[in-house]
Amino acid sequence: MNVRDRLPSGHGDRALIAGVVCILVGALFALTPLRVQLPSAFYVFVEVGILFVIYGMLVLGLDLQYGHTGLVNFGHVVFFAVGAYATAMLSAQDSFAGIALAYPWPLGLVAGVIAAAILGAAVSLTSIRLRGDFLAIVTLATAEIFHSLFVNFEDIFGGNVGILGVPRPIAAVVSDGDTRLAATLLVLGGITLLTLAAVTRLTDAPYGRVLRAIRADELVTRSVGKSTITYKTQSFVYGAALAGLAGGLFALYNGAVAPGFFTIQVTVTVWIGMLLGGAANHRAVLAGLAIIMGLRLISRFALDVTPVSSDVFASMRLIVVGLILVAVIRYRPAGIWGDPQELGVDQ
Amino acid sequence: MGLLQELIFGLVTGSYIAIAAIGFTLIYGIVNMINFAYGEYLTLGAFIGFLAANALPGPLPVAVIAAMIGGGITSIILARGFFTPINQTGPVPMLLTSIGLGIALRNAIRLVGGRSARYIETETSTFRFDAIPEIPVGSVDLLGGFFITSEHIIVIASAVIVFAAVHLLLTRTDVGIAMRAMGDDESLARVRGIDTQLIRDSVWVLAGVLAGLAGVLMAIQTNVSADTGYSHILQILSAAILGGAGSPYGAIIGAYVIGLVLAVSTAFLPSSMTGLSSAMAFVILIAVLLVKPSGIAGSEVREA
Amino acid sequence: MSLLAAEGLVKEFGGLRAIDQLSVSIEEGELVGVMGPNGAGKSTFFNCVSGVIPPDDGTVTLEGTDVTSDSPESLAHRGLVRTFQDTRELETMTVRDNVRLAAPDQPGERTLPALLRSSSMREREETVRKRADELIEMFDLDHLADEYSSNLSGGQRKLLELARTLMLDPDVLLLDEPFAGVNPTLTREIADHIRNLNADGMTVVIIEHELETLTELVDRLIVLQQGRLLVEGEPEVVLEDERVIEAYLGGDSK
Repeated sequence: MNVRDRLPSGHGDRALIAGVVCILVGALFALTPLRVQLPSAFYVFVEVGILFVIYGMLVLGLDLQYGHTGLVNFGHVVFFAVGAYATAMLSAQDSFAGIALAYPWPLGLVAGVIAAAILGAAVSLTSIRLRGDFLAIVTLATAEIFHSLFVNFEDIFGGNVGILGVPRPIAAVVSDGDTRLAATLLVLGGITLLTLAAVTRLTDAPYGRVLRAIRADELVTRSVGKSTITYKTQSFVYGAALAGLAGGLFALYNGAVAPGFFTIQVTVTVWIGMLLGGAANHRAVLAGLAIIMGLRLISRFALDVTPVSSDVFASMRLIVVGLILVAVIRYRPAGIWGDPQELGVDQ
Repeated sequence: MGLLQELIFGLVTGSYIAIAAIGFTLIYGIVNMINFAYGEYLTLGAFIGFLAANALPGPLPVAVIAAMIGGGITSIILARGFFTPINQTGPVPMLLTSIGLGIALRNAIRLVGGRSARYIETETSTFRFDAIPEIPVGSVDLLGGFFITSEHIIVIASAVIVFAAVHLLLTRTDVGIAMRAMGDDESLARVRGIDTQLIRDSVWVLAGVLAGLAGVLMAIQTNVSADTGYSHILQILSAAILGGAGSPYGAIIGAYVIGLVLAVSTAFLPSSMTGLSSAMAFVILIAVLLVKPSGIAGSEVREA
Repeated sequence: MSLLAAEGLVKEFGGLRAIDQLSVSIEEGELVGVMGPNGAGKSTFFNCVSGVIPPDDGTVTLEGTDVTSDSPESLAHRGLVRTFQDTRELETMTVRDNVRLAAPDQPGERTLPALLRSSSMREREETVRKRADELIEMFDLDHLADEYSSNLSGGQRKLLELARTLMLDPDVLLLDEPFAGVNPTLTREIADHIRNLNADGMTVVIIEHELETLTELVDRLIVLQQGRLLVEGEPEVVLEDERVIEAYLGGDSK
């Protein structure tokens, strides 16, 4: 990756420009009478596309933690969930159960990011020194604990129903369904592109060099004067905050949050996307995620034409997903576009 | 229900978690991996036991033995197919592989076995002890009458037999002594001429047998479903880490601590929040990793 | 006042004393060799002094300041830098990035300047690039600058490690077996570099088994045995010392 040697980063800047353009076009649809019409066969693509750009923020944060810094976070969904719940509880107008404070949604979104970052800081302050596989277990256990808190504390989190009545800022200004979907995809996609630009800048800079050095050999990195704990904590918190942002945006797009949206499947999906594409390469992890979510799209179509129940189909899809994870690690440990030498897996 | 009753339940839960945690911790100590698919081994054992109980005319022990043999065979086949080839890649790729394998197995079981829970028919006798004073403190009775079923006794007795058998294996047999040597220092064990792959295979078989037993005991005690093992994996893992990852004796202690904490927290939590009691196991796990990452008796899991 | 002084250092591993009441002091501008049979505690001494392992007892002072149990990173900031016995390259990074990483005071290592790509970051990166390329060239690694350091030979790794530490411009340099596994030509080359650095005022402490090279190079030899200071003094005198001869020839019988 000698591109890094040139400081002005091509990819990062293009992502920045593309992100701004997307948001502006999305705003144009949202705020003017301009309308689009989508062919109805297209809906499912747009819906999965929206989910993809939201998960894109998750995978970029995860890759900052694992791909660049080597931190094994296997509870990424918890930061997504905390961001979503914090945003939802602060901004929901009124919910069937649980807290609904009806504050303005931007406040809720900011709170979502902060809440996820605080949880990230708490996890990293306590556990960042653990060996990789044990950090994975602590993060996974944290996710399970929060999941059961969401389910069990009905008065606060709404139990299995979750928090309803979350404002949907884009839906509020666009009444037409097609335009609403298009504008949502553009705005959220634009935010994901801005995220891509930001993490690219961060990792192209000497900052990223320190992160990769920590992944390679923490003691050496310390012995050349870098405070590795600070960097590991920052990397973990930034990843968590990005997940919180994704969660908040998800709540504001979906209009509701519930435990069912935040299962370990989310973590598994972004992990497989990252490993399949190739860790430590931002565009590769997004591409890997696109492949995995494309599989979801295919299975949705396949479900329509095959005579099996959706339960059976879900099981079959998950078998494939699990085996893909196994196969990638065994046969393609650097992923499709990753650099085996950079990832240290070429032996 | 009185606390005494909850303690009985805790003892039962601790017993099957202990059996499974021994297998789990041996894999950790000797293969050097956290096997997140281990819960599925339990589920497979439970299903094999269920099928055997229905298909075979024999008494319950036949089903139990079938589950143990099935568990051992499954375990070594999966190890040879998925884990042995990537033994050298380090703990994180192996953990991730086991997560992927676990998802695939769990859903394959669900695909074949369906979503509903199955029950193994057993004849149960219940022994009641009602004459004990309750000594209420707030909403909790400190003693109180209790009952114990023949199933409870089977589970606890099986656990005790397993502890004795594992202890004899580890201290009296060549394979067991080699296992302990490898857990302490693999390269030293190799220098001493121990066939490390053979020992690893033995551990996989042993862990599979224990998983099969734990699974079928869970099935007898409650029921069998595709999530039987997975719903216990974090408890098993917590028990193993609490006891000091890699230490079978520690895992036994860890398992009973987890079992009792689950039972007591069920007693003290309001009934609307009993779902939280399983979260308690993870809280303990995290607390242990933070306070004393090496567990009750085990090696360091922090980095420099 | 000594530049670097260890006073009564003790470190036990599982009941065995790797170093035992070890007191050593290094003066500014010295070039000192540390030798001793295997298990004499040489690397443990380095590990305790450089903050990698906190000693159980005793103190370490650097320029009169107590730095006992300070972290490796804070010692690096104070000008004490070390290499490792088993060369530790950042294998998943290029030779150039290995060297650049070590540069101190990089604004681009903080989040905001990195995100904003501030001018302070770009200016510093320019000087870091120049200095790194100088060092890479000085150690004849320029043709390998863009290679991953995992592709380097053992000797090249030693050179890279040296280049990386020099990027920090240290006052005290601790070298753990810089000649181990290095061919004779490269050994001479590395020795010359060390001599030049010392002539420019850098204080250097070297652990080495290769006695011939070591004794030619250093002003003073420190011999450790079983975690204690056995003998110290000028190389010629030390090598004639009966206790040293016995320690080396006697080997395991001790």
